[in-house]
Amino acid sequence: MSFPFLLIIPIILPLVGATALLIRSPLPQKAINRYVEVIACINSLVVWYLLLSGQRGSYTLFSLVQDFSISFRIDGLSALFSGMISLMWPLALLYAFSYMGEDRRNKRFFSFYLASYGITMGLAFSANLITLYLFFEMLTLSTIPLISYYEDHESLYAGRVYAAYLIGGAALAFIPATFLTFLSGGGDFLYGGLFQSELPVFLSREIIDLLYLFSFFGFGVKAAVFPLSAWLPRASAAPTPVTALLHAVAVVNSGVFAVMRLTYYSFGPDLLKGSTSQTTALLFSIFTMVWAAVMAVKERHFKRRLAYSTVSNLSYMLFGISLMTEGGLLGGLSHLVFHGIIKMSLFLCAGIFMHCTGKEYIYEINGVGRRLPLTFAVYTIGALSLIGIPGFCGFVSKWALLTAGAEAGGTLPVLGAAALILTAFLCAIYTLTVSLRAFFPPLDKDHFCGQEVEKPQKAMLIPILVFAALNIFLGLFPRTIMPYLTDIAHGAL
Amino acid sequence: MLIALILIIPFASAPICYALGRKNPMSSCRAGVLVTALEFVLTLFLFQGDHSLSLPSLFPGGLSLQTDGFRAVYALVASFMWLCTSLFSLEYFRHEEKGLNRYILFVLITLGATEGVMLSSNYMATFLFFEILSFSSFTWVIHEETPGAVRAGYTYLFIAIIGGLVLFMGLILLVSDTGTLDYGELHQILQASPPGGRTLAAGICILLGFGAKAGMFPLHIWLPEAHPVAPSPASALLSGILTKVGIYGILMTALYPLAACPVFGAVIAVLGVITMALGALLALFSCNLKRTLACSSMSQIGFILTGISMYELLLSRGESEAAFMTLSGAMLHMLNHSIIKLVLFLASGVVVMNLHRLNLNDIWGYGRKGKPLFKLSFAIAALGISGVPAFNGYLSKTLLHEGLVEAAEVWGNYSLILKGAEWIFLISGGITFAYMLKLFICIFVERNSSQERQASFDSAPSYMNRISGTVIGLPALLVFILGTPFAAKTIGAYMSGSPAIGEFSPFTWNNLKGGLISLTIGGLIYLLIVRGLFMKGTQSTGKGGSVYCTGLSDALPPSLSGLARRFEGQKLLSYCGQFLFIIGVSLAKFLDRITHLTFLLTIASAFTKFICILPDAIIVLLRTTAVRERPVMGEKRNRTDHMKALLKDNTEAFRPVLMNFSFALMMTCVGILLILGALLILL
Repeated sequence: MSFPFLLIIPIILPLVGATALLIRSPLPQKAINRYVEVIACINSLVVWYLLLSGQRGSYTLFSLVQDFSISFRIDGLSALFSGMISLMWPLALLYAFSYMGEDRRNKRFFSFYLASYGITMGLAFSANLITLYLFFEMLTLSTIPLISYYEDHESLYAGRVYAAYLIGGAALAFIPATFLTFLSGGGDFLYGGLFQSELPVFLSREIIDLLYLFSFFGFGVKAAVFPLSAWLPRASAAPTPVTALLHAVAVVNSGVFAVMRLTYYSFGPDLLKGSTSQTTALLFSIFTMVWAAVMAVKERHFKRRLAYSTVSNLSYMLFGISLMTEGGLLGGLSHLVFHGIIKMSLFLCAGIFMHCTGKEYIYEINGVGRRLPLTFAVYTIGALSLIGIPGFCGFVSKWALLTAGAEAGGTLPVLGAAALILTAFLCAIYTLTVSLRAFFPPLDKDHFCGQEVEKPQKAMLIPILVFAALNIFLGLFPRTIMPYLTDIAHGAL
Repeated sequence: MLIALILIIPFASAPICYALGRKNPMSSCRAGVLVTALEFVLTLFLFQGDHSLSLPSLFPGGLSLQTDGFRAVYALVASFMWLCTSLFSLEYFRHEEKGLNRYILFVLITLGATEGVMLSSNYMATFLFFEILSFSSFTWVIHEETPGAVRAGYTYLFIAIIGGLVLFMGLILLVSDTGTLDYGELHQILQASPPGGRTLAAGICILLGFGAKAGMFPLHIWLPEAHPVAPSPASALLSGILTKVGIYGILMTALYPLAACPVFGAVIAVLGVITMALGALLALFSCNLKRTLACSSMSQIGFILTGISMYELLLSRGESEAAFMTLSGAMLHMLNHSIIKLVLFLASGVVVMNLHRLNLNDIWGYGRKGKPLFKLSFAIAALGISGVPAFNGYLSKTLLHEGLVEAAEVWGNYSLILKGAEWIFLISGGITFAYMLKLFICIFVERNSSQERQASFDSAPSYMNRISGTVIGLPALLVFILGTPFAAKTIGAYMSGSPAIGEFSPFTWNNLKGGLISLTIGGLIYLLIVRGLFMKGTQSTGKGGSVYCTGLSDALPPSLSGLARRFEGQKLLSYCGQFLFIIGVSLAKFLDRITHLTFLLTIASAFTKFICILPDAIIVLLRTTAVRERPVMGEKRNRTDHMKALLKDNTEAFRPVLMNFSFALMMTCVGILLILGALLILL
């Protein structure tokens, strides 16, 4: 098989597999599990074969009109994103099988779960703005049934909110996408910007600023930037495998990914640096960091607290991106990867807690750590990493972000660096109080909540252990991955 | 190679010891002793030749470690203290085996991390190991899991996090300014071009970050809380070595990047003098054996910081000879304090092990009879720390004092302030003597007011075994040896790498005078204040029937009438003296309150409330105007109800946070940080 054709296999395979599962008559749970896991593993293998084979090329599926084409290709950024996602998906599935148990709705659940894998791959491999936009919308649509899985009032409402926010945002982003596509003749991503040689005459400064802000907030909806972030905490009404993989990693990171594509590969940082749009983007991302961290401290629902923390951390990435320097992109990229790893492990631990105790509030955690020692040990590792304690991978990305902020100079970047440290304090409060409650409950024995705790299944523990190991390994040996990220940030890949 | 071994052995053996202790906790303790002994032997080899270890690929900045005089001595001191405390643990934990293997696990991890800090030669290595030991020593504080221990543990943990993050910020500023984190390179770069405002800000961040662990004002709050609740061997380590880890970071900053920077020196001097005086006062007022020792540690850290600042001030005026003499003094005082606190905390461990009590009124007269080794060791350590001539503390304190005097001469414009600092120094030294005298006389000289209890103290058959006796006696002997000028000079010159200390003659009249003034002040304070004001006589019994006031609030009369009664009662003191004293006590109480609760809580809770109500206010505003939520089916809510519900939810959610002292503290630091950020932007 020729390479370009192989490129669309990881996109098509899960979609076809999911459709087949959806229209087939009911299957026993075990058969569904085996089927889904096999497809996901094959898919990941294909992705890794593509990445490791080192071939680069593009494949145009079809052209709509002259400039509008659906085409895919691999470059450094897409390789990074797809590689990360394809590592996580099979592990998350393994966890999901034990978490979901047996239920009549599982067939639908797993088919949409699988379909969103293919769609995320499509988003990662997309070669131009129109393709990116298309998969962006598809990802929204395919995850709505996952949010409303429990079909109760709360989750149905969460699904509606989710759809309203994300589809509206994408519509906003559609305007700059078409503009750029027409003006550049195809809109194929190019490091450093589409208009490197000369600007079209009728594009004034104000129009560029407006277009960038449209796309920043439009694609930024998935990255939960401040006024548009309410959907994310609500979406934790979904089952934990969805919250963990989609709403801490895949969906939200695809928002960040899209903003990166827009900023560094379409508009170009040189065009935007120093403009009003950069100032606005920086201001909003800095505000979101602090605001979401404060909200997380206030929140008493375990998963919603983590969701607010995701909002805060996504803004770290947006802050890095909107510095418009190579260092900023490096910081954003490394936080994209490391935050994914950390947040996965935190959410999966929260899921084990909820699954094994049937409780979901922070004040119900008192003393549970004694019954679920491994789970909460992994949680603590994740928490320390998220704060930015050296020795864990969160430190590496914070280091990159802060150095970028300090080196960029100027008021807003330094303010952002200070806000980063401030939110790290808040992060210590909202994550560590949970582990302290779990291991050393502050109240007397009456408030001990660890009486009825089931033992977690092995299949749930394996993924969290893998993520904890990755967390420590990448924290101690960041040189295994950082040179690669630096190359991407410099446009060498 | 040797350094790698020293680092790997504790980290690798920690989980093994943990696993060993799952069945029989004592066996993990024994394995811990073996590991620390091995570590001790390995650190002895550090004195042979130069060792270095560089791992450039391990971290964002790369790790590098090396040895020199100071580092080698402190690596040895660390492993020696670990060896002594783990030998002592064998007896101390005999009856309390719960969680012992967890304790040993973290003791060994902290050992590895401490050696890492003490041998580090770039900021990255210092920072990494510093954070590891911050978190691993948290489990020592919380070990007994009583409510008090948990509370102290929370405070300790959050202060450690604050310190770590402020330090992080400082390092980022430093690296963005100079591009390197290696001590040597930083020294060269900043010698060539004098440090600007940004580097200074970085230095102050670093100072605060390390100061949090050293127990420096204003981040000392964890120290008097955490030391008394930890098991005694752990408090010996916390006080003797972990505070020195913080000092190590400050010392490295003063030696390399910000050498001869007078502003930085002045900042350390101010904070150091406050720490010194405040710690001494708190120790004087304390009525708990371990709390007194903990506050005393804080005060001694202040002495060391003052020494470091005088080094900076002298060096910036080109007085390198005097500067290095002061530096040797500061290093010697670190060493002396480590060893003295080892003896004293282990001695308090003996008391805890036998009586399970720490209040002075309960342990009154415990050491009177039949405990000669215990008595002698305690006495030597007490004399050492009070700076009595012929003991080690006298030498190092005299060196520090000399530094202050020289600095006052050199900095003519500021000589008045420095003279003031010198007097605070002498008075703090006097208070040190007073509270050590208070402890010694209370435990070893006077009789307990209850006859039966005194009898049970005197007739107790054995109070510690031979091993424990050795590990208390041996460091006490060291205290004695370090008190000889020859030993002190040799070690001081070796540690500071400069022969300046060789010309120091400790027993001239000029030097003796300072010590004697200090001791006289101390004796007076003991006789007049401690015996006069802190002891409350009970009418029923005659001699020896008095008790110490428990804490400061007890010492101060509650109302004015009480004040008047006290004036009548204390005829020995002149009214004037009393008046001054009461002002002093009130001031100290005020400072105590400031740094403890009232002040912090008010500011912090106001700030917290503001920052937390802000998002709610925005939401309420939006909900009531633009984005009105659709009512849930069948439920009717009007606007005010909605707002009320939201606000109620807010207060309820926030109550536990506002009640939490650590959180309040954190928010204050957030405030400090905001101000710092604003300053940075202005700079």
